[in-house]
Amino acid sequence: MTIPFVKYSKFWLFVSAGLAVLGIAAIATWGLKWGIDFTGGSLMDLTFTGARPENTAVVAALEEVGVSNALVQKSGDNGLIVRTATMTEESHQKALATIKKEFETKDNVISEPSFEMIGPSVSQQLRQRSLWAIILVCIGIMIYIAYAFRAVTRPVPSWKYGALAIIAMLHDVVIVIGIFSVLGHFAGVEVDTTFVVAVLTILGFSVHDTIVVYDRIREKLLHRGQSQTLEEIVDSGLNQTLGRSINTTVTVMITLFAMYFFGGASIHNFVLALLIGFVAGAYSSIFIASPLLVYVERWQRRNLTAKKA
Amino acid sequence: MAKTTNVAKTATRSQVKWRVAGIAVLFVVSLFVVLPSYANKGISWVNDKTNLGIPTLPAKGFNLGLDLQGGVQLQYKADVSDIAPSDQADSVEGVRDVIERRVRGGLGVSEPSVQTSRVGDEYRVIVELPGVTDVTEAIKLIGETPVLEFKEQNTETARSLTADEQKQLTAYNNAANTKIKTALKEINKTKDFLAAVAKYSEDSTSTIAKNGELGFIDDTIYPEIYAWAAKASIGAVSQSVITTSDGLNLAKKISERDGETKVKASHILICYKDATGCEKEWSKEDAKAKIESLKATATAENFVSLAKSNSTEPNASETGGDLGTFGKGEMIEAFETAAYSAKVGEIVGPIETEYGYHLIYKSGEVTPKEYEVARIFVDTKTATDIVPPVDAWKTTGLTGSQLKRAEVTQDSSSGEIQVSLQFDSEGTKLFSDITTRNVGQPVAIYLDGESISEPTVNVAITDGNAVISGGFTWDEAKLLAQRLNSGALPVPVELISQQKIDASLGSDSIDSSFKAGFIGLICVALFMILYYRLPGLVSVVALLVYTGVTLGIFKLIGATLTLSGIAGFILSIGMAVDANVLVFERLKEELQFGKGLRAASEEAFLRAWSSIRDSNITTMISCVFLVWIGTGFVQGFAVTLLLGVLVSMFTAVIVTRNLMRWVFGFFRHDTANWMFYGHKKAEVVPAVNVQSNNKQQ
Repeated sequence: MTIPFVKYSKFWLFVSAGLAVLGIAAIATWGLKWGIDFTGGSLMDLTFTGARPENTAVVAALEEVGVSNALVQKSGDNGLIVRTATMTEESHQKALATIKKEFETKDNVISEPSFEMIGPSVSQQLRQRSLWAIILVCIGIMIYIAYAFRAVTRPVPSWKYGALAIIAMLHDVVIVIGIFSVLGHFAGVEVDTTFVVAVLTILGFSVHDTIVVYDRIREKLLHRGQSQTLEEIVDSGLNQTLGRSINTTVTVMITLFAMYFFGGASIHNFVLALLIGFVAGAYSSIFIASPLLVYVERWQRRNLTAKKA
Repeated sequence: MAKTTNVAKTATRSQVKWRVAGIAVLFVVSLFVVLPSYANKGISWVNDKTNLGIPTLPAKGFNLGLDLQGGVQLQYKADVSDIAPSDQADSVEGVRDVIERRVRGGLGVSEPSVQTSRVGDEYRVIVELPGVTDVTEAIKLIGETPVLEFKEQNTETARSLTADEQKQLTAYNNAANTKIKTALKEINKTKDFLAAVAKYSEDSTSTIAKNGELGFIDDTIYPEIYAWAAKASIGAVSQSVITTSDGLNLAKKISERDGETKVKASHILICYKDATGCEKEWSKEDAKAKIESLKATATAENFVSLAKSNSTEPNASETGGDLGTFGKGEMIEAFETAAYSAKVGEIVGPIETEYGYHLIYKSGEVTPKEYEVARIFVDTKTATDIVPPVDAWKTTGLTGSQLKRAEVTQDSSSGEIQVSLQFDSEGTKLFSDITTRNVGQPVAIYLDGESISEPTVNVAITDGNAVISGGFTWDEAKLLAQRLNSGALPVPVELISQQKIDASLGSDSIDSSFKAGFIGLICVALFMILYYRLPGLVSVVALLVYTGVTLGIFKLIGATLTLSGIAGFILSIGMAVDANVLVFERLKEELQFGKGLRAASEEAFLRAWSSIRDSNITTMISCVFLVWIGTGFVQGFAVTLLLGVLVSMFTAVIVTRNLMRWVFGFFRHDTANWMFYGHKKAEVVPAVNVQSNNKQQ
């Protein structure tokens, strides 16, 4: 049985376009909740052996020693995360001492398992490099695909494979960022360096997946019969790689789920971003990148006939 | 694809066997690297049985990043705005060196990582201190500007006590004496040692809190109390005052036990070329032959004379190889084990250590007692408590702030490498005075309170230019100049980022990521076997090889494992099977065309290769840019994922392919059966497939 992917592709393209628009809208309205890696600042991670104090009480206590605008957030069952502007070690110690003085009792011991301070120059560097990395990865991948598919220039020029792979990839990334924008707005999920890593990994994987499908189409194109249309070739290529697409996604999902459930809380969001991105990547290779190839070819042909006429 | 010939390359059966054997060896070697302790057990077992002397593997663990072992990371910006551009890099290196010395010496961090990096125009120093939890102290210690001082010899001796001070001292010690005697009287009356501890003891609060108990002592701690306890019976309280180095004591013996057994032994060492500290030119084999012949003649009676005439240990001709009495942990492990397991009077060996071959004669064994004691302590004073002893060096007022610069130069006539110093006008004057005063005497150069050089003044130097010479190598001289410059040119550093992670958080992370990796691996393996059956099983073997080889490479190149790195590795497990999935799906198709098993599998590998290659290259492109972003988390992840992808291409293609050839060789008929997923021939072969199947160039 052959599933006619291309025939119903319009529906999926509309769904994808809709999702992408929603994603962009979410990013435009809410933006992302940037972590201190990007904004600069300090982050104190506190744990209490007894009941943790109210957030407002902590903020008030910190105000008294001159640490203003602290953001306090509950974490886990017995922890608090305190975010402030960039602190010197001196004011950090003062802040910690104050919190201990105010809230520590015999049965409620306060400890600080981790503390992070990122100065403005470090965060600025990270912002710039992250942006450049994303741009350069896109360009690098496009060049590579154009090179790898150089033998196939008909009916679609090889650089267009690269461009379409990039479109599918942008779709995946927009969905991931959009979901994190929603999560940031409603659940306070922050975007930090690990998120950039996840996005870059998704970039790589999304194209990885698209290439496998394109490779099959390329192989068929090189040896195609006269009677076959591009649509038939794309459909049969998709059908033949479907098993692989599903199985690869399953094995990667298995490892990601293992990490999500057993890998500790600190990599939760990182793994979540990867999970979303990998599903989107597998989906977009089949439902976006390949059908678009057919549309590009039709569009080219129409232009050509228009010119001739 | 277009350029590859479509004739599947086949290997002969024996080639395949050799390759499979090669893969097995690779796997075993990588396991040895990953788990050296098991391997070492095996090696020492073989050594015991055969006397081959195979060297054991270094039992080094993985390099763990700060997020896994806990610790502190500090990033500093070095303010080089006041320094000439050409000297900036050097002065930052100087700062790096000073920080490293400070954290090693001051904080006792054994493996700090102190690196410099340049971001745009900014110089940064990144300090990683594994195991450190006291950030405040670390920051204080590092942030100080290096202090360079010149000192001269102190000729003064400590002044004697004044009559007044002498009187005070006597009065203090008399009072102490009276106090302890009163305590003794009271104990004898009330029989209550505990109450007397609380009432009289001037010990540390923690000791008093433990009722004055010192725990079990041996003769190295409070030898005077130990000597008393050796004669006293259990429960007894000393009836005379025991004087120790710190004051006056009354002791109570609570219990006794056997301490650690110590060994009395002599040895003969035969070293060989390249062994530590060896000056002989013998080969290892000659040394071994020599020690074997000595062993044949050695007896308890002639051992000392044999040692005197043969042992290559320095001074052996005087000591006769006598090592005295030693306890556990004082000798090299192999030596200790042999000495402890030998019977008294026995000669054992040869034992191999880094110094060479040893023959050990065990002359005795002692088991000293340890005594559990409590004490009442009363403090006394000595003259040095009032007038401290005099330092060998005294300050001259000349410091780094008066040093203009230090650089490495070469003496024009002798060519000797030296460090030349240039002082400013104030420094020139001070230095001139100091050298005039100290002709023929040494002066000392102190950096952060530590003497780094003690040159002798040959002539008075009045022009502010000095040289320090002393047989430096170029690198040593450069290091010294750097140190001097960093003292001389204090580069202010500013803390721009810090991160502290508790060790407990780190070990939790290790546990959970290990668990996640293990569960992930098992699930992927199960999935592959259940879905693809026999080829699935082969791919799981390849996956194990993959896991072993990748971890082995991490260890060999000393990659630092971070939480993100482990995440990258776990993810790469999932992606590593992708190549196999591609091949197996192809295999299924080829089998459905009705091809024979072997031909189908060769074809599947050939055709899947371009997909595997192209798709992995894009992941690698991502990884390369991730490495470039450059912060710890990102790099750890990217490096492990990159390595993982590279190794997975090798295991998926070479390992799986040859394993499959080997396994398929056992099939009598060249046809697939129930052991292969999707082995049934397709009933209607679609036209498309015929096309692709017939392609031949």
